[in-house]
Amino acid sequence: MPKKPSSEQLGSQQDIEQVRALILGKENHLVKETIKKEARHTVSHVLTEALHDRQNQDGSVDKVLQPLVEEAVKHSVNHNRERLVSSLYPIVGSLVRKSVTAFLADFMEKTNQLIENSLTIKGIKWRIKAWQSGVSFAQYAASQTFVYRVEHILLIHRETGLLLKAVDLHDNGKSTADLISSMLTAINDFVGDSFLANEDGLKEQLQSVSTDNFSLLIKPGPCALVVAAVIGNAPQKVSDQLQLTLEEVHRLYLEELNNFDGDDLPFDNSENLLRDCLLSEEKSLKKNTGTMSWPAWVLAGILVLFAAFQVITWFGNQQLADRIRQLDLQPGIILKQLNVLGHDEILLDVLRDPDAITIHDWFQTNGLSMDAVKLSERRYFSLDPDILYRRAQQLLKPYPDLNINWQNNILILSGTLDLLNTEKLLNALSVAGFSEEVNLNTRQLGSVSAIAPDNEPDIKQHVFNTLIGRISSVQFDFAVASEEVTPKMQLLLQSVYQDITRLIPLAKELNLDFALVVIGSSDKSGNKTANRALSLNRAQNIAQALIQLGLSKKSIFVTGLGQLDIARVGDTARAVMLNVLVTSKAIPQARSR
Amino acid sequence: MIQKKICLLGASGVGKTSLVKQFVEGIFNEKYLTSIGVKVDKKIISLAEQQVQLMLWDIEGQDRYHVFQERYLRGAAAYIIVVDQTRTISLRQGIDIHTLARQSTNCPAILAVNKNDLPAAWRLDEDEYASLAPLFDLHFSTSAKTGEQVEAMFLAIAELLHGNKKNDITT
Repeated sequence: MPKKPSSEQLGSQQDIEQVRALILGKENHLVKETIKKEARHTVSHVLTEALHDRQNQDGSVDKVLQPLVEEAVKHSVNHNRERLVSSLYPIVGSLVRKSVTAFLADFMEKTNQLIENSLTIKGIKWRIKAWQSGVSFAQYAASQTFVYRVEHILLIHRETGLLLKAVDLHDNGKSTADLISSMLTAINDFVGDSFLANEDGLKEQLQSVSTDNFSLLIKPGPCALVVAAVIGNAPQKVSDQLQLTLEEVHRLYLEELNNFDGDDLPFDNSENLLRDCLLSEEKSLKKNTGTMSWPAWVLAGILVLFAAFQVITWFGNQQLADRIRQLDLQPGIILKQLNVLGHDEILLDVLRDPDAITIHDWFQTNGLSMDAVKLSERRYFSLDPDILYRRAQQLLKPYPDLNINWQNNILILSGTLDLLNTEKLLNALSVAGFSEEVNLNTRQLGSVSAIAPDNEPDIKQHVFNTLIGRISSVQFDFAVASEEVTPKMQLLLQSVYQDITRLIPLAKELNLDFALVVIGSSDKSGNKTANRALSLNRAQNIAQALIQLGLSKKSIFVTGLGQLDIARVGDTARAVMLNVLVTSKAIPQARSR
Repeated sequence: MIQKKICLLGASGVGKTSLVKQFVEGIFNEKYLTSIGVKVDKKIISLAEQQVQLMLWDIEGQDRYHVFQERYLRGAAAYIIVVDQTRTISLRQGIDIHTLARQSTNCPAILAVNKNDLPAAWRLDEDEYASLAPLFDLHFSTSAKTGEQVEAMFLAIAELLHGNKKNDITT
């Protein structure tokens, strides 16, 4: 408490004044002038201490200064607002941040209650994970919601729009950052001038620019701006960090910013400050990529089921197709096309020998249903051994006396049969696909029995002609420059021999004579003389083979034609042909006479 | 690197955009020019000692429909008044713009008389030149079409600004 002067003190001060007046008299004003001259110097030495002492003494300094300070601040606000804002900026930023933090805490608490009341599947899932992680539900929800990454940070000089420093996440350089900085400043100026000033008389400022892919967060300060290019949904944390960085930049580089003349070198060290703003939440990003919402799970489940169904159906169809393809192994059946579209639609295109099993029977035998089969069937003549044997059995039914032997896919006939039936049977077998040198052996078929006396001469003649025709149709083909009788020819020779032996009794009964003409030929290659000799040798070799089988040499005439100059066959005419010359029996001379 | 903000001012159609079009690096579409009234390009000039990057603010032409955009002049290290030597009126408009600009800034001003590949519609006599020359720190006769004096102008601006800076340091 300031002490009040006592009556004794007041009395002594008055005494001093009287003594001073008596001593100095009229020269008092000289003393005052002298003191006044030194007053500024003298007072400056004790001003601070005097203010301090007086404030302690009676607290009057505050009262005196308060209106002065208020007036000065008011004057600054009215006339030098930018400077005042620059000076107060770091303090105000901190105060605002505390206020905003308090507000956000309250807001998050309320949001927490709202989210806790929600009963979505995602909410329940997050609640479980938050409980497992030991954090509050709101915190976990926030971490799941905010997925972002700050890609670039630009520090821009406010007045000139020039780039002071740029940093980016991938260190790709700043090829266009300077242009973007200037253009952003121009746009900001454009916005500032295009809209009305706010209540405080300050121009409007761009705070953010958003596109489909990223957002630009702009933090304007009195001398510089910090701009962040953010991918994703930037949380408040990014904005807070930008604000902190901006304040720090102003605190550390205020002088450089005010004296900026285009040289960005002094701001090189601001890189570390700006890098603090390159925030991201890649961890939560990874988590999010691994988690799917329940509709996605349902959709994925449906897709998996559908795929599984398709695979099972395809597998089933393949199995069914494999089973049906076994039909192709069946004798007398050729599978042309099979298309299994499902168990309810099978397209089947086959060729079937009439002696083969029917498709219906085969399906029934194999436990398959014909209901879904759309069958397209055409007939053909099969030479499958099983079908041939089946066919031969049917042909040989009328001849129970004959023995049938089926060995190595060759039909061996034995026993005796009259000539007429023999020819009939052999003709039928030939039509059915049997050939003497391939799959038929009739050598054990007994010698031809005499034709019954009551047989008509016309029938005998018919059989005789048939045999002659068959013998005449025989041709032995030779290799180039070869005259050798091959084993393959032996079968044919055997057949010819049998036909001739059948011919002999018939000729006798019909009163006819016959001779076998064996004719050789050769192709056009080589000289004519050699070819003639070659053709003759071929014919002689065939004749000799027949003689060895038992034919009479007298009834055989051998000739060689040499080379055949015939356009189409001249090059391959390496053969021996047979012909039968038939004449009526010569009547004895005496008798005729 | 030293960066300098340079503004291009002038009446409509004097060739401001053409003047810098072939000599600068830019990423922005010219639609910016008509929508917000400015487009920024850059030009790096190599001086003997170092490089100077000029940020060229091509400001939309000023005429009876487009008033002078003072806001874009803020912080400029220099500005170029571009006039068209085939249109006498463009010189008068250029002087008017220069007068307006001088109310906002005292930075160096450069006069570029453009389209010197075409016949001139006016020619300054000595008195006129004497009255006009002191208004500008540098003046050039340029052609955006042939490129004449364009590089030289940017180089001279860079040297002027860099020289000013050195003088600042020495004084």
